[in-house]
Amino acid sequence: MLMLSVPAVGGPLSPGTGLSGTAAARLGWGTMTDDTQTPLENPTEVQPDPSEVSEQRLADDVVDVASETTSERRARFEREAMPLLDQMYSAALRTTRNPTDAEDLVQETYAKAYNAFHQYRPGTNLKAWMYRILTNTYINTYRKKQREPLQSDASDVEDYQLHRAESHSSAGLRSAEDVALEHLPDSDVKRALLEIPEDFRLAVYFADVEGYAYKEIAEIMQTPIGTVMSRLHRGRRQLRELLSEYAADRGFVRADATTSTGADQ
Amino acid sequence: MTHGDHARQDGMMSDSDCSEALLRVYEYLDGEMSTDDCRKIQAHLDDCGPCLKQYNLDQALKAVIKRSCACEEAPLELRATILTRITMIRIGSPD
Repeated sequence: MLMLSVPAVGGPLSPGTGLSGTAAARLGWGTMTDDTQTPLENPTEVQPDPSEVSEQRLADDVVDVASETTSERRARFEREAMPLLDQMYSAALRTTRNPTDAEDLVQETYAKAYNAFHQYRPGTNLKAWMYRILTNTYINTYRKKQREPLQSDASDVEDYQLHRAESHSSAGLRSAEDVALEHLPDSDVKRALLEIPEDFRLAVYFADVEGYAYKEIAEIMQTPIGTVMSRLHRGRRQLRELLSEYAADRGFVRADATTSTGADQ
Repeated sequence: MTHGDHARQDGMMSDSDCSEALLRVYEYLDGEMSTDDCRKIQAHLDDCGPCLKQYNLDQALKAVIKRSCACEEAPLELRATILTRITMIRIGSPD
C-alpha cells in the first residue's frame, strides 16, 4: 500500500523514506492545478471527438470520489492517467538504467497510483501527482536494487568539482568549457544524466524537461525548495563538467574558443 | 541596454557581483527570480564577459537536456500490462 503524506513546509529532508500517511490524509496538492496535459497521439487508438473529451474532463474534474463505483473509478483512471503513460515511461527511462527497469517502475507507479486514486483530488495536477509516486517508488525500490554508490554523500568529490569549476572560471579561458555543448549527441547527455546522483538527476529532469517550477519540484520530491535549488545547482555543475569532458573527447571545441569573450549569440 | 550602476561605480566588476551572479544564475535561467533581481543579474551579465560565458554554457546545457530527453512512446505491451493489472487490483473501500 502506498503511503503518501502531506509534506511539512520546511520540514526535515526525508525523501521517500518513512512516509507515514494517515488513512484520511489527502494530498497537499493545491498549488499545482494548471498543468496542461499533452498526451502524445497514439495512432493505434481511436481518438474521440475533442468536444466530448473536454466535457468528460470537466466532469472528471468535479467527480464526487466518495460516491464513485469501482468501475467508474477505473474508467476515470484510464481516461486521466493512461494518456500520461508516454511521459511517465520517458521519465522512467531517464531515471533507471535500462528499459526493463523503466517498464517495471512505470508498472509499479500505475499500480500504486490506481490503488491510491481515491486520494487524488480531482481537478488538480495528476501528472505531478503521478511523478511524485514514481519518484517515491524509484527511491524506495530501485535505488536499493541497483546498489548504486551513494554519490550524493560524496560531498568531498562535489565540493572538489565545484571548486574546480569556480577556479576555472576565474582563471578565464578553459578549452573544455568552451566546447559547443549543443553539438553533443543525445546519447552523451543521457549517459551524463545517469552518472550524476539520482536526486540531482530527478531535479534536473523535472526542471529542464518538464519545466516545473522549484515549488512544484519540491512537492514532487517532498523536499524543501532550498534542497531543490541545491540539487539543481550541483547536478548541473556536474553535468557541465561531464559533458565538457565528453565534448572534448569528441573534439567538439568551439572554433572561437581562443578568441571569444563568450558573447557569441 | 541597462547597465547596472552597482557594477559601474568604481569602473570594475567586484568579485561579489560575480559570485552572486554565478550562484544565482540558475534561478535566473529557470525564471525563479523577482523582476528586480532579474534586472540585477541581467545588468551584471551585460557588463561581465566571464559571467556571460558561464551563463551561455548553462543556457546551452538546459536546452541540450530538454532536447535529449524528448518524450518517447511507451511500448504497447506496457500499456496492455498496466490495464490488465489494474483490473485485478482490489481497491479498498472508498472513503
